[in-house]
Amino acid sequence: MNNYLYRQIPKIGLQAWIFLLIYFQPVFSFAHRPADPLLNQKISIHLHHVSLQEALQVLTEKAGIAFVYSDLFSNQTERINISSTDISVKEVLDKMINANLFSYTVMGKEVVINAKTTQQQVTGVVTDQSQVPLPGVSVRIKGTNQGTSTNDNGQYGLTAPTNATLVFTYTGYVKQEIPINGRNTINIQLQEDNNELNEVVVTALGIRKERKALGYSVTEVKGEEITTARENNFINSLAGKVAGLDIGATSGGVGAASNVTIRGVSSIGQGNQPLYVVNGVPMESQPVGRLNKNPNGNSGSQWDNAPDMGDAISNLNPDDIETISVLKGAAASALYGYRAKAGVIMITTKSGKGNSIDFSSNYVAEQIMDMTDWQYVYGQGANNVKPSDQAGAAQVGGSSWGGKLDGSQVIQFDGVERPYVAQRNNLKNFYRTGGSWTNTIALNKSFDFGTVRLSGSNLDNRSVVPNSGMDRQTFNFSGIFDPIKNLKIDARVNYILEDVQNRPYLSDGAGNANYNVTFLPTSIDVRDLKPWLHDDGTERAYNAGNTFATNPWFAAYEFQNKTKRERTIGSITARYDFDGGYFIQGRIGRDNYSHKYTNVVPSGTAYRPRGSMTEQVTLFSDLNADFLAGSSFMLSDLTITPTIGASFRRTKSELSIQNGQDFSVAGLYNIKNTVNKAIDFIPSDQETQSVYGNIEFSYQDLLYLTGSLRSDWFSTLATPGRNNQLNTVYPSVNASFVFSELWKPTFLSFGKIRLGYATVGQATDPYKTQLMYNFLSETLNGKPLGNIINTAIPNSALKASSASEFEIGTELSLFDTRLNLDVSYYNKQSEDEIVDVTTSTTTGYQGAVLNVGKMENKGIEMLLTGYVFRNTTGFNWTTSFSGTLNNNKIKSLAEGTTVQPVATSRSNVGFLQHREGLAAYQIMAFDFSYDKNGEIIYLDNGAPARGELTPYGSAMHKWMLGWNNEFRYKNINLSFLIDSKWGGKIFSATDYYGYLFGLHQATLENREGTFGESGVEASAYYTDYANNVSKQFVQDASFIKMRQIIIGYTFPAALFHNKIKSLNISAIARNPFILMKRTDNIDPEASYNASIPGMELGGAPPIRTFGFNLSAKF
Amino acid sequence: MKQYRIYYIFLTVLIYAFASGCTSDFEDINTDPTASPGNDFNPNYVLTTAQLAYAGSNDFAYDTWRANLIYSATMMQGMATVVSYWAGDKYLNNPGYTSAYWERAYDEQIKRIVDIVESTRDKPEYNNIHQVGRIWRALAFQRISDLYGDIPYSEAGGAYYTGNLYPKFDSQESIYADLLKEVDEAINAINPSGDAITGDAVLNGDLAKWKRFGYSLMLRMAMRLTKVNEALARSYVEKAIGKTMESNADNAFLLHDESGGRVTQNRNSQVLLGDGGQENYYVKWSDTFINFLRDTNDPRLNKIAVNKLYLSEGSKDQNPGYVTGGASQKGMPNGKDLSSNPLYRINDDPSYTGFPDYSSPHPQMIARTAPTFILTYAESEFLLAEAAIRWGLGNASEHYKNGLEASLTFLSQWGDAVAISNSSAATYAYAHPLDMGNALDDIGNQYWANACTSFNFYEAWFNWRRTGIPALTPVNYINNATNGTIPRRFPYPIAEENTNPDNYRAASAAVTGGDLLTGRVWWDKE
Repeated sequence: MNNYLYRQIPKIGLQAWIFLLIYFQPVFSFAHRPADPLLNQKISIHLHHVSLQEALQVLTEKAGIAFVYSDLFSNQTERINISSTDISVKEVLDKMINANLFSYTVMGKEVVINAKTTQQQVTGVVTDQSQVPLPGVSVRIKGTNQGTSTNDNGQYGLTAPTNATLVFTYTGYVKQEIPINGRNTINIQLQEDNNELNEVVVTALGIRKERKALGYSVTEVKGEEITTARENNFINSLAGKVAGLDIGATSGGVGAASNVTIRGVSSIGQGNQPLYVVNGVPMESQPVGRLNKNPNGNSGSQWDNAPDMGDAISNLNPDDIETISVLKGAAASALYGYRAKAGVIMITTKSGKGNSIDFSSNYVAEQIMDMTDWQYVYGQGANNVKPSDQAGAAQVGGSSWGGKLDGSQVIQFDGVERPYVAQRNNLKNFYRTGGSWTNTIALNKSFDFGTVRLSGSNLDNRSVVPNSGMDRQTFNFSGIFDPIKNLKIDARVNYILEDVQNRPYLSDGAGNANYNVTFLPTSIDVRDLKPWLHDDGTERAYNAGNTFATNPWFAAYEFQNKTKRERTIGSITARYDFDGGYFIQGRIGRDNYSHKYTNVVPSGTAYRPRGSMTEQVTLFSDLNADFLAGSSFMLSDLTITPTIGASFRRTKSELSIQNGQDFSVAGLYNIKNTVNKAIDFIPSDQETQSVYGNIEFSYQDLLYLTGSLRSDWFSTLATPGRNNQLNTVYPSVNASFVFSELWKPTFLSFGKIRLGYATVGQATDPYKTQLMYNFLSETLNGKPLGNIINTAIPNSALKASSASEFEIGTELSLFDTRLNLDVSYYNKQSEDEIVDVTTSTTTGYQGAVLNVGKMENKGIEMLLTGYVFRNTTGFNWTTSFSGTLNNNKIKSLAEGTTVQPVATSRSNVGFLQHREGLAAYQIMAFDFSYDKNGEIIYLDNGAPARGELTPYGSAMHKWMLGWNNEFRYKNINLSFLIDSKWGGKIFSATDYYGYLFGLHQATLENREGTFGESGVEASAYYTDYANNVSKQFVQDASFIKMRQIIIGYTFPAALFHNKIKSLNISAIARNPFILMKRTDNIDPEASYNASIPGMELGGAPPIRTFGFNLSAKF
Repeated sequence: MKQYRIYYIFLTVLIYAFASGCTSDFEDINTDPTASPGNDFNPNYVLTTAQLAYAGSNDFAYDTWRANLIYSATMMQGMATVVSYWAGDKYLNNPGYTSAYWERAYDEQIKRIVDIVESTRDKPEYNNIHQVGRIWRALAFQRISDLYGDIPYSEAGGAYYTGNLYPKFDSQESIYADLLKEVDEAINAINPSGDAITGDAVLNGDLAKWKRFGYSLMLRMAMRLTKVNEALARSYVEKAIGKTMESNADNAFLLHDESGGRVTQNRNSQVLLGDGGQENYYVKWSDTFINFLRDTNDPRLNKIAVNKLYLSEGSKDQNPGYVTGGASQKGMPNGKDLSSNPLYRINDDPSYTGFPDYSSPHPQMIARTAPTFILTYAESEFLLAEAAIRWGLGNASEHYKNGLEASLTFLSQWGDAVAISNSSAATYAYAHPLDMGNALDDIGNQYWANACTSFNFYEAWFNWRRTGIPALTPVNYINNATNGTIPRRFPYPIAEENTNPDNYRAASAAVTGGDLLTGRVWWDKE
């Protein structure tokens, strides 16, 4: 939108006027009908109780009009009374002719009176190919919004004009259009649809649309695709299935968050996570990370030894999900405005269908994959010598710089002598076989006036990390009612209880079992670290030289990181359809949760002997209300559908923190038992108001055009005392052209071109516009401790950022729909990004809030599906490729700089930066230093000198390719999914510490010799090497993984005498093996924080799962 | 036409809603209800926090542990340890530790003190806190510059006010010139009848003491320049003479508070009590320091050192039967470890009879409520003595005697258990007058001893680098980073390469002797 225009208008809200007025015009213009001169002539006429026929004769005489009409008209018994000396023919006709039954048209000098089609009853049954009734099939009168849907027994009944055509649509089946032709009974069979192009998909604001009408790319995934081979965080199941979607699970153990990006990094400084919309209600799902205010959660900082607290989306139970629609582009998201900058994932939960009981049970065993490949030649010790006494062994407890593993008896940290031999199975001996068991039962019931569905689910997870696991119960209610004619009420409640036991610490060593077991010296058996307690209850530490190296068993069994979350997502939607196509809809939804986090650093911890604990409660609520009104108008072959709406959002949270240091009674983990207590209270509040309008034109089934305009007003831009512009206005337009309607060669079943352009704005988090002060919790001998609360320099002149996206794509279905192609090209430009620019600590602040930077994402997405064999009774093979290419580039950053730091590796020699001219999230490491001749410069100790901090590539993958295969023969199905990502880099802090601790294979070279002029030993040389030159820790994170394999059998219902309607049993494997990777000691997908790509350290190892899934319908 | 009515109603509601400005409460919504804007917040509250931060980071003694203890205390042979990560004891390079002070000082000290100075500028009602803020700001910057050399100064900490996100590194020469000017101006601008300094946790708002503190600070700053600009040094010393601290009652120290946990407890104590490791058992007074006191029959030896305070490696419980008395005290040699290498292995050292026999600091000195000493009368007097020797300004012997007495009697500020009576101190000082033939050594040694007993190892290191006193014998540990010489500077933090690359690179390249532990700051001329 043109900023100039809006700057002219001082008062906010006026923009709403303008665009609503623009809106109005189409509403009225179609109400007028052109008049005809023949009918406008004025006559004088006096009719008293005459028949219609007689009246027409009089008119013929007076006005010279010939009438053509049928018996239907002349047989009417009505008597006419009209008396006037100056009346138009039209007025006379209008009085004579019952507009409900008849219409007339002028043809030359003739007026033709046609009987309007009569209304009639139509009933019928809709079944599938095998005569099984289909409940919930939409039956619509073509060209109108009127219609009904089939009941539990597949029956429908409605009143329609005799000459109308009924349109039957049902997800997954081919749409059928049947002219009534006066019949009272129409029974039809729907054919299963293998051509996804005809699908009805859920789009913005929950509106269902035919796929061919969309001018942008939407991918829909059915609930069942993610329930068979499931993940505890179901969003991970989408990996490899949706082009343009990049899903990175984190190494945070059970209940951890995932990093989800659609069409690349959408924002330089803010979250890149898509908006999740559950049944039309937006849900906040900011994962833990840089933007997290939670001081005790994982923020991905260099010093983070905190657990991943998970994200919101992982709370949902996949069994309750009907469909997931991924709306990728800004055009798809224009109606969600600022929140949809990173794309939208719409989730529709199941609603009642028929009368049935659905039951599913899923069990998977979980097992770790050991990614480390350390050296096993030298053992624990220092300076190439094995320890000779207990204190010495303890002091070098974390170092593998000892002597050659020779099998001799060597004293260890606890004074016990053990053989000096390689311990290769520490990870396997530490982690256990975990498992997840999920049971879901759902009750469906149909009534005359609606349907209900009630489901309950229990997930019981035992993590591979000892003493860690998750319990989750979800309850889902869905009710759809039609209390009165034309009114539909849809009410849904999702209630979730989630308890996670001991989320593991990440990244840093203190209290982190993963870190410590990974870096155990080669000659220490992790089982010898048991028991993990001394008799007095203190930690049996193995590394006195670094008390922060917590005994992994102690970390797992004594540290506590519990979270308890209770979440309710509720929504109620009421929609009233007026006769004639108008509708109004109101919706209110609220997502609220309480999240309690208890952290205990136990008494006797080596690095904090007196212990500490934190009790933290977050109360969150997100209220969303919206209102929508719209209509459809037909203008011969053109259908015009305008809608206008407004929405309101208020999001509040309160975080209360109680920290206690030093337990007065050791081992009694109660916040009141701590000596030194501190409190904190962190509120957050924001409101957004929006108005929007949308207008759609569709011409036959050929051309669809949609335009929208939206304005958002943000509270987070407000600054007291300043008159900031609080809103931003943005348009979108998109079109779809179904060229196969015009051009019909035999090989082409369907063809469409789509085109879209949209812009979207985004504001920021609250409280970033003013410098504010408050107090630390503590006092110093009674004196209050005042504090500046801003860690980033505030900005009182913030404005909304903007992103625009252009998209062009095509959908083709070839050779009798055997080959289907969906390709998109997009170009997304972001600017005026609101960024917390990381600054040097010497500014006094960690960052500054600025409107800076431009970024672009250009890419291609492709989904190619082939039905290689298609035979309803025989062998079927469906294969599909989903490919994504994304080119991201930072075009500019804050004025005066070309670099914006994002994160620092705990190793201190690896960084994540945005750099002008390169893709976002560059992995930075130190190169060698070169002299004038290009020779590497070495220091006295032989180690290379530190050179330039150099970008080695983006952490974000450039290419992704998923290959899915489904085979079906009669009742047996087999599928597998291969997922690959290419081109991303990762900084392996694990390798860095491998150098420092003498674990890395590279440290074997000249292990017992000396280095450089000063003759230092290997440990000093490799430590200096790692600290000076870190580029060898940047690794290619490309991989090919087998994501899942499913083999299933569906029992015929007849087997159970139809007592069981359906039963399927599947054997499943998720992530069973890695086909290709290029990292040496880590999983290429390792990550310790969902918002910090390309950084890893101390996470839980990747897991593979095997199990079965049973689903039954009674 | 019925349907249109719905539109009318809806649109009317909508239009009224937006035209009437629903956004009028947005400013309230976007104001954190738990905080106050600057206009409503007394800067005195922030002063307390800035002072506390100078006594070390509230993030578990982060900078104190690494800079004051791990490096300064051991390099200056005030303390010694076998803990493997105490890199300073062995002159090893640990970039994470040497950058610790920088990381915390700008964030916790400079941000706050600069904000105090900037937010009170040209506000008569805040004149005195403004001036005190300037003095404190100078104090804070001096230490950062002494550790690293050229540092961001004129553009540092004030990015909220200036918008400059890439502070340039000022030369130490220009920084010192400005620090001296600032302190001078601020002292003169203090108005005894002006606003009260209510947030002062160090001198309790006593403006007369602030003036004397200011002059003693000016003296310390000026004396730092004796190797590089004697004329400038002398001119400021002359300004300060007669106006500096007058007794231990003027000592600037911050008294810690146990109730606030790590945030308010004494930072040195948290470390030396073993809160984060086994420092309680393995960190001891250095034999260099203990032997110095013993060789001079210094009564402080009876007070500050105890042995058998911790009896076992695994326990952090203090032995109430700890042993005092100079005769039984024994320092631990520097540069030793727990390895198997007989060259370094402490067990192979002739002094070794078990760790509990080496002397620990007296429990009073590592109490959680113990004071952090910032600037003391004794230091001030020793510097005046040195000035007298150098330039004939005043009576060197008198200042030396005052300093020596004060550096004995001030121990009472640690607590009664380590107090030395005025009379014993006077007796000792009388018996150990300044040896005019060896005056600079005497003064420097006592300055060092005073710094060690006040746990201000930073200051011991700075003065040693300037004067070379005391004459310390370096250790020569395997793989050390300094070729067996005592480090003279902390390298710049690598993180600046990430956040302020251009300025960092220029500064790093300009360090005399290289951006290494062996490089030198400007005033540390060879």
